[in-house]
Amino acid sequence: MTDKDITIRLGAAAGDGIQSAGEILTRMLSMSGQYVCTYNGNQSLIRGGHVWFHIHAGNWRVTSLGNGIDYMLALNQISFDEHIGKINQGGAIIFDPKTVKAGTIPEGITPIMLPLTEIALKYDKRPLMKNTVGIGALAALLGIDRKEIGEVIQLQFGSKGKQIVDGNINAALEGYALTVKSFVPTKSLEFDYSKKRLFTHADFALAAGAVNAGCKFYAAYPMSPASPILHYMAVNAEKMGVSVLLAEDEIAAMCATIGAAYAGARAMCATSGGGFALMQEALGMAAMNETPIVVVDVMRAGPSTGLPTKTSQGDLNMMLGISQDDFPRVIIAPRNSEETFNTMGRAFNIAEKWQVPVIVLLDFGIGDGGYATVDNLDFEEPIDRGKLLTEVGDEGTWFKRYELTEDNVSPRVLPGTPNGMFVAKTDEHDEYGHDLSDVEAGLQHAVEKRVEMMNKRMGKLTGIAVEMNLPEVAGPADADVTLVSWGSTSNPIREAMKQLLAEGVKVNSVEFCDIFPLRWKEVAKVLRKARHLIDVESNYSAQMAGLIARETGIMIEDRLLTYSGEPLEPAEVVEKVKNVLKKEIGVSVRNKAL
Amino acid sequence: MLETKLYESDIRPDWCPGCGDFGALSAVKNALASLEIEPHRVLISSGIGCASNFPGFIRTYGHHGLHGRPLPVAVGAKLANPSLTVLAIAGDGDEYGIGFNHVVHTARRNHDVKLLVLNNEVYGLTTGQLSPTSVFGQRTKTTPYGSSIYPLNPLSTLLGVGATFVARGFSGQVKQLSELIQAAIKHRGFSIVDILSPCVTWNDIYDNVRFRMYSLDTVNHDRTSLHAALDRSKETEKIPLGIFFQNEDSPSFDELLHKTVNNRFPVNEVKHMTEEEKKVAISIFS
Repeated sequence: MTDKDITIRLGAAAGDGIQSAGEILTRMLSMSGQYVCTYNGNQSLIRGGHVWFHIHAGNWRVTSLGNGIDYMLALNQISFDEHIGKINQGGAIIFDPKTVKAGTIPEGITPIMLPLTEIALKYDKRPLMKNTVGIGALAALLGIDRKEIGEVIQLQFGSKGKQIVDGNINAALEGYALTVKSFVPTKSLEFDYSKKRLFTHADFALAAGAVNAGCKFYAAYPMSPASPILHYMAVNAEKMGVSVLLAEDEIAAMCATIGAAYAGARAMCATSGGGFALMQEALGMAAMNETPIVVVDVMRAGPSTGLPTKTSQGDLNMMLGISQDDFPRVIIAPRNSEETFNTMGRAFNIAEKWQVPVIVLLDFGIGDGGYATVDNLDFEEPIDRGKLLTEVGDEGTWFKRYELTEDNVSPRVLPGTPNGMFVAKTDEHDEYGHDLSDVEAGLQHAVEKRVEMMNKRMGKLTGIAVEMNLPEVAGPADADVTLVSWGSTSNPIREAMKQLLAEGVKVNSVEFCDIFPLRWKEVAKVLRKARHLIDVESNYSAQMAGLIARETGIMIEDRLLTYSGEPLEPAEVVEKVKNVLKKEIGVSVRNKAL
Repeated sequence: MLETKLYESDIRPDWCPGCGDFGALSAVKNALASLEIEPHRVLISSGIGCASNFPGFIRTYGHHGLHGRPLPVAVGAKLANPSLTVLAIAGDGDEYGIGFNHVVHTARRNHDVKLLVLNNEVYGLTTGQLSPTSVFGQRTKTTPYGSSIYPLNPLSTLLGVGATFVARGFSGQVKQLSELIQAAIKHRGFSIVDILSPCVTWNDIYDNVRFRMYSLDTVNHDRTSLHAALDRSKETEKIPLGIFFQNEDSPSFDELLHKTVNNRFPVNEVKHMTEEEKKVAISIFS
């Protein structure tokens, strides 16, 4: 079997239904045995403007957006104008000549002119189904079996009634028939209709993974691109017994999560960068009173309001630096939907075992903004609640909740347990949770206890680091160039690497999923093996490179950075590596639209 | 009635001698003992300030958290373990200033948590600045020539946002205060008891309160009437004490959540999905 893949893009105005059209096509491909990876070119509006949906599909594990566009569906003028220049040689563009003025089309690109609106109006008063006609046309270009069209449209619109389902199916089939009759596809896929693949974005994967890990409390205030987690929890609350709180703000969301965790639930909240800024004081509270929580930041381009529907990895420094004095926190940045699902059990285990806040970092690109195939979901990660006592002996007025121990983790007890009373304190406290901050402050024993308590809390990081995963090294051990990335930027790197290796360029990839704390001496060993390192991330200041320098003393000076809001494309990584091989070294910055 | 010594802590309160909060502490102990709620069934969530040092001075579970945030912590804990009696106890700075947003929304949603505000009409622990309930003309460190700001009326405001139990007590009247707290705990849903708790150092209003107070029980007040409650809450010459308003017809948030989405007892539910739940969980993935 040879590797085959294809890229498709659908462009329209917001409100034209391009999201559901993209989903239909993604589903059609997934049900035909293809691996998929998609990206949602959203704007922060409900109607109008320009939105697009990009799909990369193939019979191999695609991880990113592929290169350029093979087949394009342009429903309005701006979609045509904005994307025509990115269509690959041998590609095609579908449009309705009544709504789009084509001008000159570059040589090697086939225009496919169809009466999209005219066909759509046969089935509905409004021309909304023109995107469905386009889907039919694309299905014909791809060579997907006609039967799949009916099945997938039924799935997508089944709840809207027979008339809408039938109308859409017929509209799609007309588009299909017209295209098959008139055009010969230039690029094709290999279909296996017996393989039905699952796909989702990391927001949904995170929510599902959390519930599987026993999360029964979720609080949030809506913020793009984290809102789908809230929607997932709300929709599934009844069937899974989850308590969902739409809080009055992010401060309340975080504090309620801490309250629920203190009372004994596995509890989680999520937001994006701006909302996380409001949660910072409470993150310190969780670390100080040693309450295990999981908190999620689905990053978007900032600063401040920034680009609510565009992607970024710019919040790493915030997560590392959130600070009222020093306190422990764990940071994990899963690379894709599948890894996100599989990370959540571990995230809750680390939180409860070490009684610390665990931060999960996603971004718009893999979160709300893009679907990816999920093949191996691990539902069986054992649940480890750590030193959680179910009963306590009658040993005095108060329970020693913050007992100093060898591993710096104290036995925990839940409210409602007889004899277990203690105060969860944000003031510096002794082993029972009583203040060292007022009448004791500055007295010799309180000064000594303060140091012991700081050492206890911060000392957990050493123990956690032992359990954290080192970065994955993908590709050949012996390479001329080593790409360093974290979280989602590993995805375009994987596709670029495939292409470079095929061309005989020796390249490999060091990918961080677990970010902090780590066994940095071992990380340094991995990095020192490299002949030439390139740091690849989606932020202005190379935040991961900064962390690596701080922890290992290794300064990666050659960098490929993007802070445009658009995800990196594999082609840019390929270009960067080739330039380095030509001795063109330095910082490269992406500044084009996707 | 349980013995109040069950709730005795070995930590001595660090409040100034004569502080109103001592009276509130006695009243809370008395109320819990009267209702026979054992110490381990009680969670007290507090914020920052003199009043918020409360947990630890009484032997129950305690959460001494952030300034202004006792309520959201209480809300989360109650949802996770509905069998707990959850009190939020803090001062007027916490609840009527920095955290007032949470009071409004916790009241509006009728969460089954009980808010006791130890209201001394001044910022005490930060050494005497103007608080949201400081009266017009009050001289403080930040208003050396007298305040030109009218105070927040917490009771009328909360009646306005739909609180289902609104009461005012005085820490100098421990017996009546204990009864109010008991009624608040027994109430179906959110309750607030605004407790006038004088600060002997920065704003000693003991005599002022004693001189002007009267009990709503003595005036045939109809606590089921929102209008009557609003009228009483707006009184300025005299200080009415007692239950201004109570509506037990509205279900609490916690009840509704249980009814509508059948949320289960999260503390007992830390386990993997069932096979049925797995199917639901990934149905959206295809």
